Amino acid sequence: MSRYHLNRFLFDLKMKPDTLSRARTDLDKALSDYDLSADEVAALKSKDPRQLRPLGAHGMLSLYLMRLDPEFDDNIYWTQK
Amino acid sequence: MPFVAALAASHAPNMLLDPGAEWEEFMTLHYRMAPQAAGGKPSLEVQQKLRTDAENAFSVLRRDLEAARPDVLIVVANDQFVNFFFDNIPTFFVTLSDEVRGRFTRYDFHYRNQPELGRAILEAGVASGLDLSFGEDIELQHTQMVPLHFLLPEPDIPILPIFVNTWIDPLPTPARCYALGSLIREVADAASDRVAMLATGGLSHFPGSPRIGEIDTSFDEGLLRQMRAGEGPALAGLTLEQLRQSGNSEFLNWMVTVGAVGETPASDSFYMPDHVATGWGFVSWKIS
Repeated sequence: MSRYHLNRFLFDLKMKPDTLSRARTDLDKALSDYDLSADEVAALKSKDPRQLRPLGAHGMLSLYLMRLDPEFDDNIYWTQK
Repeated sequence: MPFVAALAASHAPNMLLDPGAEWEEFMTLHYRMAPQAAGGKPSLEVQQKLRTDAENAFSVLRRDLEAARPDVLIVVANDQFVNFFFDNIPTFFVTLSDEVRGRFTRYDFHYRNQPELGRAILEAGVASGLDLSFGEDIELQHTQMVPLHFLLPEPDIPILPIFVNTWIDPLPTPARCYALGSLIREVADAASDRVAMLATGGLSHFPGSPRIGEIDTSFDEGLLRQMRAGEGPALAGLTLEQLRQSGNSEFLNWMVTVGAVGETPASDSFYMPDHVATGWGFVSWKIS
């Protein structure tokens, strides 16, 4: 398990527009920049934030996986930190 | 009398979103994380009443803040993965930049910072065995900006952001936060500037946890009752487990202000659960 990198990816989704853009375009390629286990990759690709916490993702970062869900593309929540 | 006012207020993002469409967006996201809580979704009328009640509470706090004529406002809040990540998580952090900025939806915030007061706090901490982290290049976030929007909308005085780690174990104890508040009070009382303090956060909420959507209103009301009774030292005896179980880890921010006021009873308090995720709390202490 590589909890640091799992959280790092979620933090970068929140804070780095370039990471968000790349993840929206090609998630597999974006994830390849991080040292993630197969379980972590599968959980991230599920786009269900509730699957991340059992793997060690911080609850406050798990939410940011929903930035990859087209339904929440321009949600107002993302316009504040 | 350089320590002149103390305030505490929640910083829930929906307090600064407009009832209606903006709340709907916020809640849609929230209920995807917490489908079990969707049954309690507040109607538009409830949202509007919450906003009005929050504005009324903030107006009392702002009245007290302005009456105290502070030269600087210390803002004690937590970081939520904006300035800090697992590379380096400070337990307490004092901001030493000359200015601080942030943006919340359509609102821009830009304040002068007060690094001189920050350095005085750091030096007093080292002298008394409470070593604090410090640095510059800090970005404001909703934990500061939501209450500042209502309490200090014009940057007429500088602020001093102080961060407390409230979400990443190991957390500081309530007693340790109380001790920091007492230390800051000593520094403020020796300063020539008139110093006010605002703590933000809470009350009960469980973001990102399986209990997201729960609000422990009875615990929150007990905290407010103790603050109105001036039971600051007793609050320092709370355990981290009590705060965790009631969704009140952000009360650690408030504990710094409780440490600064000691046994001074709160002059006003307000409470309203938002029916989404958080118990909104507001407290003012008049310092004589």
